[in-house]
Amino acid sequence: MDSLRIPILKIGDVLIASIQVALHDASAVQFKDDLLQKIHDTKARGVIVDLTALDVVDSFIGRLIADIAAMAGLMGTRVVLTGLQPAVAITLVELGLELPRVLTALNLEKGLAMMQSLTEESGDDAS
Amino acid sequence: MTQAKAAVIRSDLDIVIARTLARDTAKALGFGAIDQARIATAVSELARNIFLYAGTGNITVREVERHGRKGIEIVCEDQGPGIADIDLVMQDGYSTSRGMGMGLPGAKRLMDDFDIYSKENEGTTIICRKWRS
Repeated sequence: MDSLRIPILKIGDVLIASIQVALHDASAVQFKDDLLQKIHDTKARGVIVDLTALDVVDSFIGRLIADIAAMAGLMGTRVVLTGLQPAVAITLVELGLELPRVLTALNLEKGLAMMQSLTEESGDDAS
Repeated sequence: MTQAKAAVIRSDLDIVIARTLARDTAKALGFGAIDQARIATAVSELARNIFLYAGTGNITVREVERHGRKGIEIVCEDQGPGIADIDLVMQDGYSTSRGMGMGLPGAKRLMDDFDIYSKENEGTTIICRKWRS
């Protein structure tokens, strides 16, 4: 069975991926590979991964998200995670997976605002 | 009492099926949204353990009642290699695979009761329960 592909949208120099369905392991790994390739292809300065629609984030997906943030960071791109449901935040912490190095925002709108200020900062550094 | 429902674990797709079954059962038994997420996440961890270490196995979800309290019981059975040192695998951070060593201890924290029975080269049975508050 083909793994399901998560669409990755580009707005300006930010990529946005909204995960709308429960990911099985293979499709989650496919998403990681697709996203990193797209960062490379588009030279995106930031990525927002929106998890509003997910009602379960287990340790595999949590670990994968932390990996994506670390890998994108190595490529020079910031990742902001948005829209975690209260029940998902509670289970992640109880599971022992607090994602300390992953930037988060309450929702997509606040995530975009955060990304804007982050990329402006790094833009200033570059000038 | 509702009837027990079972999911067979053979692939990573079955992990999603098993946790959806657990969530739907928990919801039908009157668990709130946060407990539904805890139960579904615990089943996801346990199903992944079966898939990674035993290859195949079964997960059964049923309603239980004890001392007037209602709850959900999850039984995970496999005929895999078994666990040589249960205390070791229940330590946070211990992992023999690409997991991160929080599958079993994490699942235990999300549930109320959690028992492991395992014999090397014969298999593992994990029985866990969550009680409705």
